[in-house]
Amino acid sequence: MTAPVAIRCEDLGKRFDDAWVLRGVDLEVRRGEVLGVIGPGGHGKSVLLKCLAGLLTPDAGRVLVDGEDLARLGPLGLARVREQYGYVFQNYALFDFMSVRDNVAFPLRQQAHLPDAEIDARVAARLAEVGLAHALDLLPRELSGGMKKRVGLARATVGDPAIALYDDPSAGLDPVTSSKIFQLIARMHARRPDAATVVVSHDVDRMRAICDRYVMLERGRVVFVGAESALGDAPEVVAAFFGGAERAPTGGG
Amino acid sequence: MNGALEATLRAVGGPLVAVGRHVFDIYSVFAQVVTALLKGAVRWREVFRQAYLIGNRSLFFITVTLGFLGLISVYQVASQIQRILPDFTMMGPAFIQLMWREFAPTITGLMVATRVGSGIAAEIGSMVVTEQVDALRMCNADPVRYLIVPRTIASAVMLVMLTIYAVLVATLAGMALADVVFDVSPSTFVSLQLVSPRDVALGLVKAFSYGFWIPIVAGQAGLAASGGSAGVGWATTRAVVSSSFAVILLDFIISGIGYAVFNL
Amino acid sequence: MRRLLMAPLSSVGRSALGLAETIGGATLLFGRILRALIPPRFDRDETWRQLYGVGVKSYAIVVVTALFVGAIMVIQTAFYVRRTGATSLLGYGVGFTVFAEIGPILIGLMFSGRVGANTTAELGTMVVTEQVDALRALAIDPIRYLVVPRFVAMMIMMGLLMVLGDGFAIIGATLTADTLIGVDPSVLISSLLESHLLDEYLLGLGKALCFGVSISVLSCWFGLGVRGGATGVGRAVNNSVVANAAAIFFIDFVVGWLFPVGL
Repeated sequence: MTAPVAIRCEDLGKRFDDAWVLRGVDLEVRRGEVLGVIGPGGHGKSVLLKCLAGLLTPDAGRVLVDGEDLARLGPLGLARVREQYGYVFQNYALFDFMSVRDNVAFPLRQQAHLPDAEIDARVAARLAEVGLAHALDLLPRELSGGMKKRVGLARATVGDPAIALYDDPSAGLDPVTSSKIFQLIARMHARRPDAATVVVSHDVDRMRAICDRYVMLERGRVVFVGAESALGDAPEVVAAFFGGAERAPTGGG
Repeated sequence: MNGALEATLRAVGGPLVAVGRHVFDIYSVFAQVVTALLKGAVRWREVFRQAYLIGNRSLFFITVTLGFLGLISVYQVASQIQRILPDFTMMGPAFIQLMWREFAPTITGLMVATRVGSGIAAEIGSMVVTEQVDALRMCNADPVRYLIVPRTIASAVMLVMLTIYAVLVATLAGMALADVVFDVSPSTFVSLQLVSPRDVALGLVKAFSYGFWIPIVAGQAGLAASGGSAGVGWATTRAVVSSSFAVILLDFIISGIGYAVFNL
Repeated sequence: MRRLLMAPLSSVGRSALGLAETIGGATLLFGRILRALIPPRFDRDETWRQLYGVGVKSYAIVVVTALFVGAIMVIQTAFYVRRTGATSLLGYGVGFTVFAEIGPILIGLMFSGRVGANTTAELGTMVVTEQVDALRALAIDPIRYLVVPRFVAMMIMMGLLMVLGDGFAIIGATLTADTLIGVDPSVLISSLLESHLLDEYLLGLGKALCFGVSISVLSCWFGLGVRGGATGVGRAVNNSVVANAAAIFFIDFVVGWLFPVGL
């Protein structure tokens, strides 16, 4: 018995000017699973994630969330669907005019109609959980890269979203901090075991600890879908990526 | 032959299509702003913060530019009057009237378009390329409503204030020059005998409209930024030209309607 | 409260300091440009490319702006003419304001917004991406190679655009007079020609050339002075357009003062 599908892509395509960044992508993200999206930098991983969130509109095919086509929802419908989402951006995307506390409280204030005291308590608890209890009143520019990443993670998951998207959570971080970030992703998933989680990264080693299945993109096309145990049947490039990553992680984003 | 024709059409048509799309994008931001205003969803605290920033950024700039404009306009007009009819009694009143009707609002509008419009585009553009605008969307905070609406209200109100200040600065500068160079006493120069409430209303309507549209045009340029830090630079330059041009276009429309419909 | 009172003062102080730095730096740059021009030693090919690029970028906005400036000025003049009934003054009013004063200022502002801002962004990006350092490493003087061609191109193009703009402003004025005000084009044109505005026309042209000089020097100065990476470019563009606008009004005053027309 497989879990229900949260997001389904059908023949998804996206182009910028005349260059197709994604082509013919068919994909399912199920509730309760952690799906890893891997592949070389610049081959459409981040674009795929933005399409899954409705931040980019596909030029071909469609993206269904709980069976509803994102492109046909309209602003109100999209707002309703997005209340399920948590999104960790590659470059943190912290609001630079707000303190850490306000950044993390922002989605709660926008979406849930909670009393202020309740919001404050949840924000403080979540920031303590990611190890930033001391940084409540700092501004984003006063934080290190790892701290910003953790604030971004706290902001995305403070509402315990049903769909959590992580865009290259360890980009630009040192190995120790990267491991901590991946531990936090695992912990957030454990808080809501029925959540559908998608992690984009090329850090295959660390993804092994949390991902149930993988999708590999190359030049905008899906070249592999499945668990690592299915790698035996996969094309050579995929095996090389998994194997090669053990020796020398690839750079870029 | 056909190739040359096609190349010509493409050279002429390409920019036209681009301009058309640009105008449509600006109009759609305008429609979203109006919708948000009608729904009354305004963050007043942010409006006050933006108003303070706009005033603070433009005050010195407007003092300098309108001061020089007042000096040179009076100098040139007085030189003409000296040649034709050496009677300076109507110079001051006509100068003040023309400042209200046309030059104070429009030059102030152009200065705010330059100073504040470019700032808005840079600010919003860098929020776009650092994905902060995407983050707003994911939190269901509409970027137009969240970022542009407070700026439109703040800039419309501040442009009205700054226009009144601009009339004052230009009049004081013109008065000083008329006194020192042409020996026209300040009491002769500063007279409101030609200024009717209708002139003041025309000027303030212009100022309000410029102020309302500048953040829309500049904000749209910022939201359309793409491609990293260079993209922010291009968005900024586009915002300066588009919002300055919006001021001139609005000036033409309001002056034309004022003249044809309201006898202004 | 104290902060509220001090903020405008400190902002004036900061502006004054920035002003002093800008004037000093831009004057030095202007001196180096002149040294490269006499005797002329700079990149000819690059100058032609710049001339073409500057013209293509700016002619459309200048033409459209000029059309509307003529239209606006004819409406403002008509307001006074309607009261006095002196239709023959319509051409004089439009010609005087457009040729001598408002035409150069508005075309200068548009040119600064389009070309000046672009130049600052372009040079600033070259500085940030170390292309300017690369030129120096090849023993190529950035002033001669990058700045002087832009200086020559912008000055010449500002003059040409002013001639073009004056023409289109008259077209805009004529169209508006015909449709909105009910004055026949021939009446406006003959009243314009009878006003003997050659001095005003030349004054405007002179102002435009000076604006071309100030816009090129200032926008190159702000572009080459970019510090602090990507955000620095945005800030420099912002400062550049503001300084250019202030310079336009200042120069307009100085030139108008030195060469009074109609005396």
